[in-house]
Amino acid sequence: MSMIDRLDPAALQKRVRALESQAKEAQRTIDELKARDSLKTQFLSNISHDLRTPLAAIITHAEILREGMLGELTQKQRDSVSGIVNGGQQLLDMVDEILTYVRSASDQVNLVKTEFDITEVVDQVRVLNQALAAKKHLTIERLNGDDLPMVYADRDKVKHVLGNLIGNAIKFTGDGGRIWISFSRRGKNGSELLVEVGDTGRGIAPDHYELVFREFAQVDASPSRPHHGTGLGLAIARKLVELHSGKIWVESELGKGSRFFFTLPLNPIRD
Amino acid sequence: MAKRRILIVEDSQLVIDAFKVLFADAGYDVDTATTVAQAIRHAADRRPDVMLLDLSLPDGHGLEVVEALRERGKLPRATIAMTGYGDAQARQGCLEAGCADVLVKPVPIAELLRQIERHLA
Repeated sequence: MSMIDRLDPAALQKRVRALESQAKEAQRTIDELKARDSLKTQFLSNISHDLRTPLAAIITHAEILREGMLGELTQKQRDSVSGIVNGGQQLLDMVDEILTYVRSASDQVNLVKTEFDITEVVDQVRVLNQALAAKKHLTIERLNGDDLPMVYADRDKVKHVLGNLIGNAIKFTGDGGRIWISFSRRGKNGSELLVEVGDTGRGIAPDHYELVFREFAQVDASPSRPHHGTGLGLAIARKLVELHSGKIWVESELGKGSRFFFTLPLNPIRD
Repeated sequence: MAKRRILIVEDSQLVIDAFKVLFADAGYDVDTATTVAQAIRHAADRRPDVMLLDLSLPDGHGLEVVEALRERGKLPRATIAMTGYGDAQARQGCLEAGCADVLVKPVPIAELLRQIERHLA
């Protein structure tokens, strides 16, 4: 029989005091972890910003050389300098991805909402990714959407979400595969727009449906993994969709492909 | 034609050095400033044709330079703002303050030279 069952007032009081003290201890730990987490976020933000400046200088110097402004280069020299520019640019994209993540995670992102045609944004992102997709003989198609109403959202952020989803699809789809974007309406009176970015890639196991949206999470996190990156792309996509009061999720079958979905409100109440 | 004068307002010496190489080679007289206060002084004294303006400076926001120069009637013919980070709101603020353009660093150099020529034409 336990102490509580016997209802011994002294023992009960002792037990309550012990629990109270445990709760206080737990709260202290939570506070401390929160403080550390916010320090880490601040650090990431500062370091990303500080990394940008010398990187910008490196890229500018290399571009000046590449453009032949300091004298004509041989083809080999130009190729080599182009390597510096491209490598620098890739590094910069990663730094920017970290900055975007830190800002969205610490609610420093303000949405600038306007009315726009989402199919235009999809087509822009397709064009931007065409070269990368062509290298793997992938097709990127927009299946429908010509009769959609305007979306009222932050155009740059929606473009970022689409860019991350399509970039992700390119990364994880093998040679000759297909990537598509399609739209449908759902909710009361079709008040929500459902956007699908699908691919015929390697797919995701059900255990990992949640994991892929977690920051810094990569299903294969080993140093020898074939796909490198910050591991922030889908976490950022989730944050940006949630800032619009939308939802994002994935449906997938291993070996067959993945379908990422997100929702955006159509004709929402203006704020 | 007289040599064009550019004022580069930027707190990173690394970035200043890169721009100095670029604009000296493109035939500009190059002045530099690393703070809001210095930028206002240099722009008022030396009257550059164009100002390349970083928005985050150690003693304040880049747009303070634009405001101070407007009050004195000494704005360069074109001011091009540079931000470290593309942000629709910051962009809007710069255009409203009277900047001719807003570019995200690292500014692609061909684009930059083209923009400047266009704004000075």
